Order: sequence, then C-alpha cells, then structure tokens
Amino acid sequence: KYKAAQTVFNIDKKCQKISPDGKAKIQLQLLLHTGESTTFHFANGSTALKDRDATKELLQQLLPKFKKKANKELEEKNRMLQEDPVLFQLYKDLVVSQVISAEEFWANRLSLNTVEHSLSNNNKQEVGISAAFLADIRPQTDGCNGLRYNLTSDIIESIFRTYPTVKQKYAENIPHNMTEKEFWTRFFQSHYFHRDRISTGQQDIFSECAKQDEKGLKSMVTQGVKNPMVDLLSLEDKSLDEGYGTATVPTTSNSSNKSLRENSNSAIIKRFNHHSAMVLAAGLRKAEAPSDQASETSSTDGNSRDSDFFQPPLKKVKLQESIEYDDLQGDSGRQTIALNLKKSDRYSHGPIPLQSQHYTTSQDIINSISIIQHEMRNYKPRLTQVMSSNAASSAITALSPGGLLMQGGGQQTINQLVPTDVQSELKHLYTAAGELLRHFWSCFPVNTPFLEEKLTGHLEEMLQAAYSKFQVWQTRRMMRKT
Amino acid sequence: MIPKLCYFLKLLVFIILNNLILKLKLNIDGLLVYFPYDYIYPEQYSYMLELKRTLDAKGHGVLEMPSGTGKTISLLSLIVAYQKAYPLEVTKLVYCSRTVPEIEKVVEELRKLMDYYTKQTEAKNDFLALALSSRKNLCIHPEVSALRFGKEVDGKCHSLTASYIRAQHHSNPSQPVCQFYEEFDAVGRQVPIPPGIYNLDDLKDFGRRKGWCPYFLARYAILHANIVVYSYHYLLDPKIADLVSKELAKKSVVVFDEAHNIDNVCIDSMSVNITRRTLDRCQTNVETLQNTISRIKETDAAKLREEYSRLVEGLKEANVARETDMYLSNPVLPDEILQEAVPGSIRTAEHFVGFMKRFLEYLKARLRIHHVVQESAPQFLKDIYEKVCIDRKPLRFCAERLRSLLRTLEIADIADFSAITLISHFATLVSTYSKGFTIIIEPFEDRTPTIANPVLHFSCMDPSIAIKPVFGRFQSVIITSGTLSPLDIYPRILDFRPVTVASFTMTLARTCLCPLIVGRGNDQVAMTSKFETREDFAVIRNYGNLLLEMSAIVPDGIVAFFTSYIYMENIVASWYEQGILENIQRNKLIFIETQDAAETSMALEKYQEACENGRGAILLSVARGKVSEGIDFVHHYGRAVIMFGVPYVYTQSRILKARLEYLRDQFQIRENDFLTFDAMRHAAQCVGRAIRGKTDYGLMIFADKRYARADKRGKLPRWIQEHLTDGSLNLTIDETVQLGKHFLRQMAQPFRQEDQLGLSLLTLEQLQSEDMLQKIAQIAQQA
Repeated sequence: KYKAAQTVFNIDKKCQKISPDGKAKIQLQLLLHTGESTTFHFANGSTALKDRDATKELLQQLLPKFKKKANKELEEKNRMLQEDPVLFQLYKDLVVSQVISAEEFWANRLSLNTVEHSLSNNNKQEVGISAAFLADIRPQTDGCNGLRYNLTSDIIESIFRTYPTVKQKYAENIPHNMTEKEFWTRFFQSHYFHRDRISTGQQDIFSECAKQDEKGLKSMVTQGVKNPMVDLLSLEDKSLDEGYGTATVPTTSNSSNKSLRENSNSAIIKRFNHHSAMVLAAGLRKAEAPSDQASETSSTDGNSRDSDFFQPPLKKVKLQESIEYDDLQGDSGRQTIALNLKKSDRYSHGPIPLQSQHYTTSQDIINSISIIQHEMRNYKPRLTQVMSSNAASSAITALSPGGLLMQGGGQQTINQLVPTDVQSELKHLYTAAGELLRHFWSCFPVNTPFLEEKLTGHLEEMLQAAYSKFQVWQTRRMMRKT
Repeated sequence: MIPKLCYFLKLLVFIILNNLILKLKLNIDGLLVYFPYDYIYPEQYSYMLELKRTLDAKGHGVLEMPSGTGKTISLLSLIVAYQKAYPLEVTKLVYCSRTVPEIEKVVEELRKLMDYYTKQTEAKNDFLALALSSRKNLCIHPEVSALRFGKEVDGKCHSLTASYIRAQHHSNPSQPVCQFYEEFDAVGRQVPIPPGIYNLDDLKDFGRRKGWCPYFLARYAILHANIVVYSYHYLLDPKIADLVSKELAKKSVVVFDEAHNIDNVCIDSMSVNITRRTLDRCQTNVETLQNTISRIKETDAAKLREEYSRLVEGLKEANVARETDMYLSNPVLPDEILQEAVPGSIRTAEHFVGFMKRFLEYLKARLRIHHVVQESAPQFLKDIYEKVCIDRKPLRFCAERLRSLLRTLEIADIADFSAITLISHFATLVSTYSKGFTIIIEPFEDRTPTIANPVLHFSCMDPSIAIKPVFGRFQSVIITSGTLSPLDIYPRILDFRPVTVASFTMTLARTCLCPLIVGRGNDQVAMTSKFETREDFAVIRNYGNLLLEMSAIVPDGIVAFFTSYIYMENIVASWYEQGILENIQRNKLIFIETQDAAETSMALEKYQEACENGRGAILLSVARGKVSEGIDFVHHYGRAVIMFGVPYVYTQSRILKARLEYLRDQFQIRENDFLTFDAMRHAAQCVGRAIRGKTDYGLMIFADKRYARADKRGKLPRWIQEHLTDGSLNLTIDETVQLGKHFLRQMAQPFRQEDQLGLSLLTLEQLQSEDMLQKIAQIAQQA
C-alpha cells in the first residue's frame, strides 16, 4: 500500500481528502489535476488510523517538493510550446482535438532527462567566487580599540569552497567546542588568515589547515605540470654542473640567512599563488562534476608521470599547436570534424540496392579514381573540335531554369495553384499524421504489454480519429468548392 | 547507377581542386624552394633572399626578424632547398636553439616541410634529420630514466656504460650494464638509422623498438645526418662540444636561433665559481682518490704502471678513451689543448694527488680573506708560484690528467667527483688563457655583509673566445632572433665579420601591436625604476594603479615584468599593504613567479588555465627570468605586457664591472651603451612574448619615463620602434587606459584572412607581381 502511495507521486495532484475521524472506513482520497481521484482504504484494523496519518504526513511533506517539480515540468512544457510553433500546432491538432492524450504526446517529446537537465541548469548554477572575497572583509575599527569584520553568508560560502580545510574545522568545532562567532574570531586572528605574519607558534586550530595546504601545494608542485610547454624544469637542455657559469652561485641560503622582511615577502607571494590556485580550483570543482567523462578521457593522456607512454599525445598536440600558422594555411577557418564511420564501405558506396550485381569494392573505386586522375593529367583539349563560345553559352542558357529546354509544358508549381490557407491546413494535417505515425512506429518492437495495448486498441482509435478528421476536412473543402 | 556517378563526380572535382590549390614553390634568386604553406608573408620571402645571399657568399650573417613571422620555417625551407640543390656545397645543417620545447618545435616544422617534399616530388625522403638532447631527455633505461635530475641521469648512465664496467661485466656477468647500450654497441653502429625525421620522442620510440640506446644512437647518427637540431651548449661549451660536435663537417651551415643572449651563453661556458663548499667536497674527493690509489697499488699495481707509461709516451687520451668514458671533456678550446706529454711532476698518480692537495690548500688560503680581491690570470699564476711553487705547465694538464686518473682507477660514480673536476677545469683554464678572464674573490655577498660566504669567480669577459672556433670552422654561421637590435653590436662583441646584417619588419594589415610608454602617474609624479626613486612611495603606488587600471580593461591575460626578483618582492609587499592587490583581485586572479622553478611552472599552468576559462589572470614575473626567456604568451594568454622599469643588469656586480671595462678597452664599446643595449634587449624580449604572429595582438606597455629617451627607444627592435609614435610617449595612466581601450576595441573585431591578403600575406601570383617585389625589397634594412 505504501508502494502504491509512492507511485502516486508521479501523478499530478490537486489535493487530498481524508475521511472524518469517526467513520468506520478509514480512507484517504487523492484528487488529481486531471480530475480523477484515487481513494485508499486503510484496512489493517487497529493500526489503520495511524497508518493513514503517517501517510498523510508523508504526503504533506512530499507534496511541496513534488509540486515544485511538477510546476517545473509544466513550465518546461509551456516553454517548449511557446518556443516551437510547429509543436504548438501539433499539440493543438492532436491533444486539443483529443486524438491522443496529453501524456502520450509528452511522453515522447519530453524525456525526463531534459527536464532534469534544465532543472539542474536552472537551479544548481553556482555563484562564482570572487578572487577578492577576502578583501571584502576588510576590518573596520569600531572606535574602541577593536576590529570589526563584516561576514556575509556569501563570504562564508566562498571561504568554505576555496578552503575546504576551514570547512572541515568548522564542522569539527561547531557547535560543541565553540560558538560560531568565536570560530570566526579565531579565524581572523589566526596565522592562517594573516599568512604574511610570522607564526606565533601558539596552539591555533588553523595551524593544521596551513599545514595541510602546504602539503597539498607541495604535492601539486611535485606532481609537476601537464603541459610540457610550460614546464620550466625541463626547459633547459644543459648538463652543466653547478659551479660553472657566471650566474650567481646558488647561495646556500636557508631561511636563517634571509631577513625577516624577505621571509614575509615570499610568504605573501606564496599566499597569493596559493589563493589564486584555490579559487580557480573551487570554480573548476563544480564544473568537473557533471563532465566526468571528459575528465576521464583527459586523464588518460595527461599527467601520469610514472608511465611516459601516455605523455606524448598531449605533448604532440601542444607542439603542433605551437607551430601552426593558421593564416598561412589555405582553408584555415574551416574546422573539420573527423567522420566516425562504423562501416566506411557503406559510406563510400552510398545506398545501393543489395541485389545489384555490380558491387564495387573500395579497391575498384580507388583504382578508377587513379585512372581518372591519370587521364586528367594527360588530358589535352582537342582545340579543333570545340564549340564556339557563343554556341556554348546559348546552350547553357537553354539548360538553366527558365531557359528554352527547361520549360516543361507550362507546368505551374503547386504552391501557386493552391490558396495559402489550404496549404497550411494541409501542412498541419500532414505533420499531425506524421506524429501519429511516429507514435505508431515507436511502438515497435512490441515488448511490453503497455505498448501492445497502445498499438492494438488505442492507436487504432487514434488513426481512426485522424482519418475521420481528414474526412471532415475534405468534405468541408468539397463543400466550399461547390 | 546514378548515385554512384554523382559520387564519382564529386570525388573527381575534389581531386582536381586539390591539385589546383598548389602549395608554394618559390624561386628565390634562382633556387627552387618548396614552402609548405599556401601563402607566404612578404618578410619571409625577403628573409630567404638575404639568407640565400649569405650562403652563396659562404659567409656569416646576422638577421633580425620578429617572432611569429615564421622565421624557423623560412630558414629550414631555404637551407633544405640549398642542400638539395648543391649537396656538395652544404652537407649539413646544424640548428641550435635554446630550450627543449624550441628544439622540438623546430623538428616538427621540419617534419612538415619534409612531408611536403615527399608529397610534391613523390620521391622517397632520403634526408636524415634528428634532435639531440641530454641523456635526461633521451634515456629509456627504466631505472636511469626515472631519475629526476640531469646530473644523476648522466652519472648513473656512466656507471653502467663506462668501458671498464663493461669489461668487468665480461668476466663477471653479475656486474650490471645497460642492455640498451650493449645492444646498440653490438648492432646499432653497423646499421644506419633509416632516413626520416626524428624528434626526441621518435628517437626514444625507435630505441625502444630496436632495443638500442637512443642517446648514443643520436650522438652517433649526427655524424651522417643531414640536419641536426640541438642546444647551443653542444657547440659553444668546449667541455661538451669536444665530445659531441668534434667531427661535424666543415661544410655545414650553423644556425643560432633566438640568439639574442648568445654572448652570455659563451661566457657562461667558460666561467667557473668556487665556493668553500666546493673546496670541502673537493677535499673528500682527494681523500677518496688517495685511498683508492693505495688500495689499487696493493692489488693491481700494474694498472698504475701502465697508466704511467702511457702518459710518458704522451699518447693522446682521446684515442684511447671510448665515447662512454668521458663525462666532460677538456674545458679549453681544441686549439689550445697541448699536444705534448704530461709533465713529469704529475705523472704518477700519487704525485698528481699530492699536487691537487697543494693546489686545494692554496685555494683555501685564498678564500680566507676579508676584503675583495680582483686580479688577472697572470697575477694569479705568479702568486701561486711564489706561495706554493706550482708551475703553469702542470696546471694546464690538470683536467687531462684527472680524467686519465679517474679512468685508471675505474671510478664508476663519476658524478660524485664533480667538485674536483671543477677545480681541475679551473686550473687548466686559468693557466691557458692570459687574456679575457678575470679572477674576483669576494668574502661575502653584497646584500649580507655579515655572513661570510667567500666565492672565487673565475669569469670569462670575452664571449668571442668561446664562439671563435665555431666561426672559424664552419663556412656559414647564421645568428638570428626576433630581437637583435642594435644589429651592429653583435659582430663587435662576438668578433666576427658578417657578410649580411639585416633587420626585417613585420608587414601588418592591421597594427596589432601597440607600444605605449607610460612616464607618469595621474598625479604627474614621474614613473621610473631608477635606483634613487625606486623605493619612493608615489612611484610604487603609481605602478600599482597602472596595473589596477589595466586589469579592468584588458581581457584575459596580462603579464607584468619587473626588473629583478627582489624589486618585485618589495613592490608586491607594499602593494599588499596598500590594498592594491586586493583591488586587482576583483578583476583578475594573481599569479607570481617565485625563485623555485617547479612552483613557478605550476603558477604558470594555473595562469593559463585561468586565461582559458575566461576568468582572466595576471602573471607577475621577472625580466631575465626563466619565464621571460622561454615561455610564449600567445593570443589570450597575453593581451597586454607591462614592463615595470628598465631591466638593467645589477650594475654593482664586480663581474659586470670587469666585463664593462674589458668591453671598453678591447672593443671600444662604452659602458653605458652596453648596459642600455643589454637592458633594452631584455625589455624587448619581455614585451615580445605577447605577439606571436600576425593574427595575435597585444598592448606593450613600457612603464618608465626613461624609455621615451632616444637612446633607449632607438635600441628597440625596428618592428616595435615603427609603431611608437610621438603620441605614445610619456603618457599618464589615464591616457594609457584611453589608448589601450581604443586599441583593444579595434582589435577585437573579426580579422579574416582576406583582410591580410595582398598586404601582409601573399599568394604566389601576388608575390610575383613587380611592385610587390619592390615593396619586399624595402622590408629588409641593411645595417
């Protein structure tokens, strides 16, 4: 019974009614948009009332959610009808005149996928992250020796998305360890936020974040870059040892050697690089999720360092790109797409009836092409036997439309004969019939009882209806004519 | 039947059309040149004409042509055509480039050309062309190639392929050797590598298929290859050139592409720095040698005796040594290497080690100083003779003698001995050249006077020393780059006499580059990176405002260059404090070059990603840095380049001062001229990174009022100078923004091939017309 209730959700609902409490029969009635109603009887005696209430609850919860979806679907249908006048006409011809039902009409048109897709497109488009979101929380002095930070939910969202480690900390500590306010206060006080300040070394919940970031950065660096053209490490082809050359010797400078200021400067630079990389990554993370396949294919030609068998393709592509002079090339603008043929033979022969005995193989074709090519190469115009140019041009005019030879006995084209309204009517009938036939053919192969039923009962009727409609039209035309 | 016929007809038309669209066959001064494109830039034609003249005269040439005008393919097309037409005149093309990606690009362009040749002539390709790189890029040995650094790869390779290791393997099969080298040695030499174009990856594939070592295969194959593409060092660094390029034929054409820094490469290859750490490591090396000698003396004294007698006879080491034994050859040029026997005082192994010890002690003593010392090589030799009685002659043999010893002692892990090798090279160099070098001993770095870090710089000041044998040996040497202005300075500092010196402009259908000189901020405060005012608050703020304003109007990527790394750090810090960076972040992401190459690579990749996905980014980088030298910012990767300040070299450096002095005395080049020349070539390199072709466009912003002066401006390449009008000098930030906006809006209009045709892009017919040929004649400007 609950199952039944679940399936109900796929139908448009208008409202639900329940039987009054005192009644013997415990019922739940659903009134649907289409005007039908379904009544559920709850029959397991003692618990029936409880069951019904639970169902009701569930329905109430699910209804708004579903409504949204239903509305979206309706909207989508509406949009499609508005955008596509042909479809709209078809809808009018078939659904409004009740040749087929609305569901059937949409069932083929509107694959659920597209709805979902457009839904996700409408709903889930992420707000981008401004690179300067940290700048937007500039502290303001509040006049009495304190600082005020303005945090909006957008900024918090940005922080979480850019720095997942902070989000993790947030989840760990809020609310049992500290309040939200405390958390952010600490965040702004932390070394993590002020990367340029030298670490004070106290126990700071964000020091771990910094460490993790550092680790991530290191692993990114050691992983190297995918594009060999920007890999500065393998740029130079020099097997010189250190000690040669005039460039200043790699000073044995460790951090102790540098001044405090230099250290903080390079920390700022690191921080900007890291921040930009994180913002970029946060933007990409969302984009990557749906296009899993793309990333999959790209990962095969990328990056796996250990096996450089995979490396060449990307490298080759980049190399080719860099030596391309598109303006020196002849037909540069045309980007051709490689044809992906399953049976290339079929493509080269065209649709030739199979019973034809002269089945040429591609070898034959190639041979004949080369023969023609050969002949063309040795082609010498026999200049003594050519037509005069006058004769040739008159022949061409005679052969072009409107010319002497092209007048097929005064035949007028049909679109000049028939009035436009009749034409359009006929067109509508034609498309409607086409749609019906589409329905008809889409039933094959008949592998479900539903299809069978549709085919035998219902489509027959439809075709009948369509036929009668045509009849009506024709008789009307005849009437008008006479 | 009918559809079939239609299909045939279609095919037929297609084929005929295909044959009609002929790619270009050019007539360059009587030479048939195949050019693998449908169109040609006028300047390419002009470039090929000049090149042809140079080759005809069998002389050297200096040619400047902007990047993105197809310099490489013009060079290759003409020289290959020349080789095909006169196979006896030019037997080989040696193409030197700077970076590995550039080398690979050249080979790919060559492949395109050769494909076109085979298609046109329908003859089988009989050309062999290959790229050569260090072991790190070519090794296919599973363990060795997994090592990260070139030095490690070289060392490990040596420990598997040295001749005595292989001899040991004979008697003791458990001694590991490299099976790829063994296979190559056994079979690879007899069977020549089939003609074709081999890039680094192709060599590796070929090696894997055959089971041969690609590195040694390539080194062997360059002797009979028609075209060799490799890095400068294989020709300019005597230590490597002697191993790799010794037997290249005289009738070769040598091309140095991207040669604007060639003088520095020359100098680097002959210079040595010695720190206290080097000496410490050298000390350990000496001890190891001593122990090894005494051990061998007990077990295998015959070996040492044999070496001794070999040295007595003065047999040339090169005859004995096999290719795999040599790690680095003699650091001095071939014509300076003594042909006599090793002097008696260092002939026995113990004596030599003793000698090295004494030399080492002397160097240690020299590094214990508290003030800067600068002296010439003869002064140094005099001092060493007086103090520790070391003669000039044994010093000269040091490198040679050490190599022999390392071989005799069968030291496998030769990379560990880099310190003593360095010292021996220093000894040989200092005793060989009395001119053109200087010795500077500094007790500490200028920036950190409190920390003792003594360094002995033995630096070459004359780039012509290293390149002289190249000019002398090969019949034609072409020096070319996008930025070689002023052209006359290269023949002077490299000391050669070119037959052609020419600069080519870029013919443009639309002005796709927009150089602007910003001299002051909106507050009229002069903008400059001059030393006196560079810390000025107003200057830094104005620089920040410029970047901020530009970040708001320029789409996609902006690259900004600073004059030095420290300067950039300081400016970034104060921009951060002033909140300028935060405001910039509202417009674009910020990435900054660091001193760590791996980190910078990552920042660079992220930068490109951000340009790619439309977010836009700014890359802060350093002139003379790796980014400014090796990375191109095509199209949206660089819509504007901002050069903050004039990138003068650090003028307080003593090495630089010594070099300037030398230039003045020897070549009559005034110090200021050279410094400005050097600064401007780097500035031009930086801004030139953004324009990589005629369909590309970009702003070039010179943010320093000093650029407006004639002596600076005049040293920019002609193709940039042409577009610097009086209206674009000494602008304020606001004016720059206005001009920039206007330019970008114009450039964003669609630009089609038809717009270029006849102006900056020619078909064959257009090329053959009389007045076009006259126009082309004006493209090249002889210096």
